[in-house]
Amino acid sequence: MKKYDLLTPEGTRDLIYDECAALRSVGDRLRGIFTSHGYTEVITPGLEFFDVFSNRSRHYSQEELYKLTDGKGRLVVMRPDSTLPIARLVGTRLSGSALPLKFFYNQTIYRANPKESGRDDEFYQSGIEIIGGETMRADMEALSVAAEVMESFEADDWRFEIGDSGFFTELSAKLPLSEKEQDELREYMLGKNYPALDSFLARFGSNRYAEAIGKLARLFGGKEVLAEAAEVLPDEVQPALARLVKVYNNISALGIGGRVTADLGMVSKSQDYYTGIVFRGYVSGYGMPVLSGGRYDKVLADFGADIPATGFAVNENAVANALLKRSGGMLTPPPALLVYSDDEHITEALRHCRKSIEAGLTVEYADLSTEEEARALAVKRGIKHIDTVTADGIKHTVL
Amino acid sequence: MSENTTIRIALTKGRLEKDTVGLFGKMGFDTTELVEKGRRLILNIPGQNIQVVLAKAADVITYVELGACDMGVVGKDTILEHGGQYYEIADLGFGRCRFALATKEGSDFYGGVGVKTVATKYPAVTRHFFESKRMDVDIVKIEGSVELAPLLKIADGIVDIVETGTTLRENGLAVIEDVVPISARLIVNTVSMKLKKERIEELSAAMLSALEQGERGSV
Repeated sequence: MKKYDLLTPEGTRDLIYDECAALRSVGDRLRGIFTSHGYTEVITPGLEFFDVFSNRSRHYSQEELYKLTDGKGRLVVMRPDSTLPIARLVGTRLSGSALPLKFFYNQTIYRANPKESGRDDEFYQSGIEIIGGETMRADMEALSVAAEVMESFEADDWRFEIGDSGFFTELSAKLPLSEKEQDELREYMLGKNYPALDSFLARFGSNRYAEAIGKLARLFGGKEVLAEAAEVLPDEVQPALARLVKVYNNISALGIGGRVTADLGMVSKSQDYYTGIVFRGYVSGYGMPVLSGGRYDKVLADFGADIPATGFAVNENAVANALLKRSGGMLTPPPALLVYSDDEHITEALRHCRKSIEAGLTVEYADLSTEEEARALAVKRGIKHIDTVTADGIKHTVL
Repeated sequence: MSENTTIRIALTKGRLEKDTVGLFGKMGFDTTELVEKGRRLILNIPGQNIQVVLAKAADVITYVELGACDMGVVGKDTILEHGGQYYEIADLGFGRCRFALATKEGSDFYGGVGVKTVATKYPAVTRHFFESKRMDVDIVKIEGSVELAPLLKIADGIVDIVETGTTLRENGLAVIEDVVPISARLIVNTVSMKLKKERIEELSAAMLSALEQGERGSV
């Protein structure tokens, strides 16, 4: 007996009416911004070999992926992100292309979240990749486009946060740590788990690098944080700090000064993924970042093209939800006109529909057999004008 | 980031709730509503712009992770079992106990080569513990009194929360190894931490300093 014929799998959903309109409107905004800056769209396969997502710079754990096998029994996954497929593309079909390459994408991605976590397993993600180019200019461009994206959401409150993965990488390399301990320390940084971090670092006594890592986790906030960092962080990471300060000042000068904060403790989940400036965007009312990105100079090398790159991705469903909450609905206005015909004038009515559409109206044809039903439909859908096509010609009614 | 931002904090119903409300009292907060709550689940601390939500332990994590609550007080046991993405910014020190492996008194859990069966309410914690020992075990999830499982001979041992060990002793069981210590933690939603930094750091610092004073007072 069928058991699941009336359900969708956990973490997936049907989007209808305003839900759908909100998602598309976010997608359209992003597409508009990206194309206006000269990015070209790529569509990569929804199915990829598992190996694409299992390499040195970024390794997805088996639990995070939706997996299946192809006709030859090879392990295939539902695309969990778009950056690695684009890196694969650059390393293969596009190898030898003139740089920089600038791409954007707007497609679904799939993540197997823990059961009943309330998160989407399937969602639309849109973003850009700048492959090649001079580091500071490319970083600044990515940040500037990201800031434009954040502004376009017209959220009540939003923040843009920047950091640099170099702080943690360089400081933790100064401590005698096994790979396992590195991962442990990274996890505490990622979770701002102060008690665990402090007790982990305590074993190094007054080692200044250990002390600096402890401070790093707490160094987030406005401009004052950067000044504080200049005083408390060791010389080895001062160049990274100088770079971050420069980027901070540059991005603030783009007119979003009050919205920019810094978090020096930002680290990537995967040890070798981010290699420089990293950033995130938050909107009030959504408990996770809606935008995240950064520099990933080692990823392309895993696909045979040793090219530096940067980029970011936006969770469109998250932004659409925030948009819906704020607008309170009515993102899809009803058609301007409903056209009804009796049995003998169906083709005339359909022709009238097309003519009215050419005149600039949105028009719905009433697939109904009586005028009363058509009228009831217009009332229900909020359509204000009805044209009735009969032997008497076209009768116009305003509701 | 204005000073009048409301902070919503989820407390784990029961003992951790009581301890946290006591702590709020020490901090000079008006906890009348929290003490005389009746059956209400969302309560206010007057004059502090703090809203308190009472929830089951695992739900505290869900609410904080999804951003429905800015902060939460929850046991390390629940954190270890449920995981998730949030900041764990402070160890509040109360609600102290531990996860431990216990067997029937006198039995040799690690002896022999057979695969052992372990009963627990916390399969993730148990799996992680034995994985770190590179040991294959069968895990049986039990909802009620885990102590029964070895007595009814469906498990060789149990992994459970142990406070005083009285229940174990009365049922002829004994701790053979500590797994991990547990106490109440202060967790924060990752976005709230950034959008409401000042208020969250203030509240967390105030809680920790009240705890410290309490400790000094009791010595």
